[in-house]
Amino acid sequence: MAVFNVRERVIECKLVFYGPGRCGKTTNLEYIYKAGKKYTTSDMVSIDTKGDRTLFFDFLPIGLGKIKGCEVTVQLYTVPGQQKYSSTRKMVLKNVDGVVFVADSLEVRRKANVISLKDLQQNLAEQNMNIFKIPLIFQYNKRDLGAEGLPILPIEVMEKDLNGKLKVPYCEASALKGDGVGATLKKCLALTLSHLQKELQWSR
Amino acid sequence: MSAKEHIQSLLKEAEIYRSQGLFDQSKEKYIEILEYIEKNKVALKDNKIIDAIKEKIREVDEKLTEIEESTDTPELAQEVQSLISNLFSFSKNKDTAAIEGAVAMAKFGQYEKALEEFEMLINEGALPLMAAMNMLRCHLSLATPEAAITQFKRWVSRDELGQGDLRYLRNFISDQLEKRGIKTELPQVGEIISGEKKTEEVDEGVLDLSSIGIELESGPRQGDMVEFDVTFQSGNTVSVIIPSKQKDMADLFKPGSQLSKVQCCSALAVFNSCGQVAGISKIESGPNRGNYSLDITITEE
Repeated sequence: MAVFNVRERVIECKLVFYGPGRCGKTTNLEYIYKAGKKYTTSDMVSIDTKGDRTLFFDFLPIGLGKIKGCEVTVQLYTVPGQQKYSSTRKMVLKNVDGVVFVADSLEVRRKANVISLKDLQQNLAEQNMNIFKIPLIFQYNKRDLGAEGLPILPIEVMEKDLNGKLKVPYCEASALKGDGVGATLKKCLALTLSHLQKELQWSR
Repeated sequence: MSAKEHIQSLLKEAEIYRSQGLFDQSKEKYIEILEYIEKNKVALKDNKIIDAIKEKIREVDEKLTEIEESTDTPELAQEVQSLISNLFSFSKNKDTAAIEGAVAMAKFGQYEKALEEFEMLINEGALPLMAAMNMLRCHLSLATPEAAITQFKRWVSRDELGQGDLRYLRNFISDQLEKRGIKTELPQVGEIISGEKKTEEVDEGVLDLSSIGIELESGPRQGDMVEFDVTFQSGNTVSVIIPSKQKDMADLFKPGSQLSKVQCCSALAVFNSCGQVAGISKIESGPNRGNYSLDITITEE
């Protein structure tokens, strides 16, 4: 749950980029860090292994300035995608306010997407949160690989696989090129802040 | 598509998967090429292409082994450790936040630093039982049970912790060692002193709980088991948070009311128990402002 300092009118919320291993979560954060330098409030912290796999989490704090009379800061996190880091994912999800689920468009990752989404649902439930109620956005990443002749999943299939019941907004993206990264973040922030506005009864 | 074009297409796919770090998928594609060549008896000038693909499979295998064998928990720089401690301590209470920060470090495998933090908390008298229990957990996670035993003996000999706490810790470490097949003589802790709070006797049996499930006994969700993370535990009383939007559920828990089915989850076991609502209050400040803090005393079934 976001931290709301009523006296100083400061709101600090937490967004987590979730998804299977190698789907591009860290690439999203790296792009946000490079492209949004003026919004970042400190360096991006990234702890990875030799194979560029996220080991613990990536962390990037950004400042959004004043919104409805409150200074809003956002902490962006990624989780390690590999299945073996389940306890780290649970830890990073603690007190989350909004989630970007980065799904891999490659056909060969279809099953991994579904497994990771189930893992998200379970980990949210363990902290008494409901995947149907939390602000959530899907990002269908690596769309550019279709043009390179690689088999990618049609959007309709990804929607059916992942978003059939949830019916949340989605963005197509190519995080490596930066396409769709900003749009995903904007959508997730809008959804999360509107949710928090109701929860915290935050107004001018 | 000619055989050559098909092989080139598979090769490109394998290379891209490899560049994406999808080594399993890359290996599958390389193998598919070899199988295609063999099955279709593709005429090749020489064996160079087959050798090259076999070499690529070997390289991918190396990468997979490297990932498999990479250290899961490297020792992190001090500033990263401090960052972890800050980012993952949520409580406004200074002592609880300090425990949360140290537990986070342990969960991220920074055991040595976590041990230092827990020791400091014990010395400061800040939630000493929680700190001591987590110290023992760190030693056990580090696969150094002898260090846990030495630590426990030191606490007993120096009388650094209360008798009730020591008895609880003795039970805890004794269970843990037994599970690991380690037989050792742990020092006895003094008999229960008359006049000691009776709840301490109950405390001995209650593990450190991470979450609880409560079966709702009334309301529209009657019969449902709802899960809560334990935010704080003192002996056999646990605190959980009910979000403000679930006021209807919060209203179901009247102080003193009995809970006939409480599922308790700890790192060691999941067990069914009973409980009694010790209190419920609306949180007036801090990150959980507006939510409800529900205290439940776990009682034996």
